[in-house]
Amino acid sequence: MSRLLTLENVHTHIGQYHILQGVSLTAEEGEVTVLLGRNGAGKTTTLRTIMGLNPATSGTIHYGGQDITKLPTFSIANGGIGYVPEDQAVFTTLTVEENLKVAMRKEDEAAMARQDYVLTLFPDLKKFWKKEGGHLSGGQKQMLAMARAFVNDNRLMLIDEPSKGLAPIVIESVMEAIREMKKQTTIILVEQNFSMAAGVGDTYTLIDDGETVQSGRMEDLVRDEELKRTYLGIA
Amino acid sequence: MISKLQGKNFWLIVIAAVLAAFPLFSDSRTMTILLTQIFIFSILAMSYDILLGYTGIVSFGHAMFFGVGAYTTAVILDRMEPTLGMFLLSIAAGMLIAGIISFIAGLLTLRLKSHFYAMFTMALAGLFLVAAEKWRAVTNGNDGFTFRAPEFFQDRTMFYLTALGCLIVVYLLLSRFVASPMGRVLIAVRENEQRTASLGYKTLHYKVTASVVAGIFASLAGSLYSVSLRFVNTSVMTMDITLDALLMTIIGGVGTLIGPILGATVIEFAQHYLSGLARDYPIFERWIIFFGIVYILAVVFFPQGIVGWFRQVRAKRSGKRAAALKAKQPVLKAKAEENG
Amino acid sequence: MDLLLNLTVNGLATGMLIFLLAAGLTLIFGLMSVLNFAHGGLFAWGAFSGVFFYGVTGSFLISVIGAVLTGIVLGFITEKLIIKPVYGNHVQQILITLGFMLVLSEMLKVVFGPNQIAAKTPDYLSGSWEAGGVILIKYRLFIILVGLLVFAVVQFILKRTKIGLIVRAGVLNKEMVQALGIDINKVFLYVFMAGAALAALAGALMAPYSGVVYAEMGLEFAILAFIVVVIGGMGSFPGSLLAAILVGLAGSYMAYFVPSLSLAVNMILMAVVLIFRPQGLFTAKEA
Repeated sequence: MSRLLTLENVHTHIGQYHILQGVSLTAEEGEVTVLLGRNGAGKTTTLRTIMGLNPATSGTIHYGGQDITKLPTFSIANGGIGYVPEDQAVFTTLTVEENLKVAMRKEDEAAMARQDYVLTLFPDLKKFWKKEGGHLSGGQKQMLAMARAFVNDNRLMLIDEPSKGLAPIVIESVMEAIREMKKQTTIILVEQNFSMAAGVGDTYTLIDDGETVQSGRMEDLVRDEELKRTYLGIA
Repeated sequence: MISKLQGKNFWLIVIAAVLAAFPLFSDSRTMTILLTQIFIFSILAMSYDILLGYTGIVSFGHAMFFGVGAYTTAVILDRMEPTLGMFLLSIAAGMLIAGIISFIAGLLTLRLKSHFYAMFTMALAGLFLVAAEKWRAVTNGNDGFTFRAPEFFQDRTMFYLTALGCLIVVYLLLSRFVASPMGRVLIAVRENEQRTASLGYKTLHYKVTASVVAGIFASLAGSLYSVSLRFVNTSVMTMDITLDALLMTIIGGVGTLIGPILGATVIEFAQHYLSGLARDYPIFERWIIFFGIVYILAVVFFPQGIVGWFRQVRAKRSGKRAAALKAKQPVLKAKAEENG
Repeated sequence: MDLLLNLTVNGLATGMLIFLLAAGLTLIFGLMSVLNFAHGGLFAWGAFSGVFFYGVTGSFLISVIGAVLTGIVLGFITEKLIIKPVYGNHVQQILITLGFMLVLSEMLKVVFGPNQIAAKTPDYLSGSWEAGGVILIKYRLFIILVGLLVFAVVQFILKRTKIGLIVRAGVLNKEMVQALGIDINKVFLYVFMAGAALAALAGALMAPYSGVVYAEMGLEFAILAFIVVVIGGMGSFPGSLLAAILVGLAGSYMAYFVPSLSLAVNMILMAVVLIFRPQGLFTAKEA
């Protein structure tokens, strides 16, 4: 196993606000790292900082041995990082097909095969192939956003709260897809739903007030009642 | 701080006194006319800065208020008696009309985002220009008309002093205005409109007020302008007038009242001397190009204009880092966060 | 009947020219929220360089191509030197593009002289056809044809090509487009150059239509284009065609029936749209 992504003491300002005040985390190749923390702790900003959407003001981000702290967003993405934002950001007036096509870096046979494989993970999308993104249900949008990030052979996937606002039965199929994706790629997952996080996570990083509080193996956190109570408000 | 302010006021009083005494020891007609022109355009540029520099609103229709003042005064003096009373009445009438127009236009459109507002005012001013061209019965179209100024202004010196007096009064009024609680809210709107609104201020109300204040003083400038020429035509409604105000404000320094005055001075003098050179070197016919380029550079690199540059130099010399930092914080960049 | 038809043809021709100008504006705005106040300057440069190339080569086709190339080059310069440094700041953008408009139109006077210049229509497009007692002026029909052709080509690019797909996605969410590995700044540069090319094309076609070119034509037409962009909905390409036709026709009919109100009608239309439906008449998307 090797380290795919390392954040060291990352600080991020948005406008005049100091949002991240020392986030450190690592993601091991092939594992699911879950970012945990209260609302507003800085989990989403951490993902956005990795993507370069809110560039780090200090600290370093290394990905696959390369320093990507200062790279523009598109170069970071082209390095093999897929991003599924919290609001899914599906292109509303583009069809499902077009949503995937925008994302595809190449359109050769291998890419088409990849697309077919991704569609086996999200069979619903195949059904609504010509439907506009804006007309999909919440769960379908989530699937489309994940498929869009996964349609390229990405080494790392950043997934922001995929269960948010979805019905339990839909959450289950989203989780199923994530478990399937995990076989192919490394994942950093932001998830508020602890049981769900514990279900797929290998390691966790706990963020509070824009700072990394603790990292470790997920099974240790499941047993650590005090940590959970203090930072996650679960007993 | 207080002594510094007094120092600044002291110098302003000295300058005003020298300007007032100027006709006593110079009878240069050209210089008198040039300075009068500077006073008038200083008023216009200051009024524009209330919008741009203090409230952060970009209007491309300022010429219409200038034009309203110019035409109102010209028409009243032409149709009625060219007396001082009528002159004052015409100024008041122009300001009233301009105030009403800016109130209505502001109320309807100041809730729009910045580019919509800029576009809307540009088009509205375009409409006023066309109206001035077409409404020949009143404006005599493109050709315009000459009219007689009040007897009192037959002596150019008198008009010079009147314009100077107006400039001083407007400067003092606007100084009070921007220092008032109202002015502080305007600056807050400029810095962050959303936050100001979330503090409970009705920002639209404040923006409309700024637009009315800017409109009525632009109209005053227009009234003085047409009397200075004893002539009016559609040129007072053109985009050139707005561009003049814009260049003067940006180059002089936005967000201050001295800046627009400085800008007006620099540009009027430059126009005077550069178009003088144009007789020998035709390229100077297009002197405005230099200012266009300076303006663009100023927007990007020196959004605080001459005043900001001067403050920086002075702060560096006296080692006041804090002041330097303050001067460096560009007004125009204030909105970057919100948009970025 | 004859009269109405002619007014309609006039209105459509003017509408198509405004459309060419507005198309670039609306796409540039949709993609980067940049409202380019210098767009009219590019239009005027297109008109003057068209007349210039026509005078030099004697070929109308070459003059149009020359104008379009001028537009592309100017578009490149504008984007790199003027738009880029202030990207993301609306107030600065508005101020700087207007300043550049001033420089562009003054430069026109430096290069081509301060006076208006007469523009010729090529022989094969001069005159008119008579069909069933109706007289149709060739050049106006030609403009309508070109306008429709440009619409079809751009629409095809937007709907059927990868770059078009990226532009449409970028209008919706440019952050996400970047997160998918696309250099949106490069895309924006292309769109800007294309928009400038269309503006210059409009200028080159406008010159024979109006018979003269003058530096102020840029601003005059830009105002019409702004009105169209607002009515059609900022960022909506089909909306800009419909709105341009509406504005062109309204202008043409009003100029005949109520001449004093011809510009006022469009202005009032724009004011009403801005106040009651700021996202535009022809788009459901929130502005």
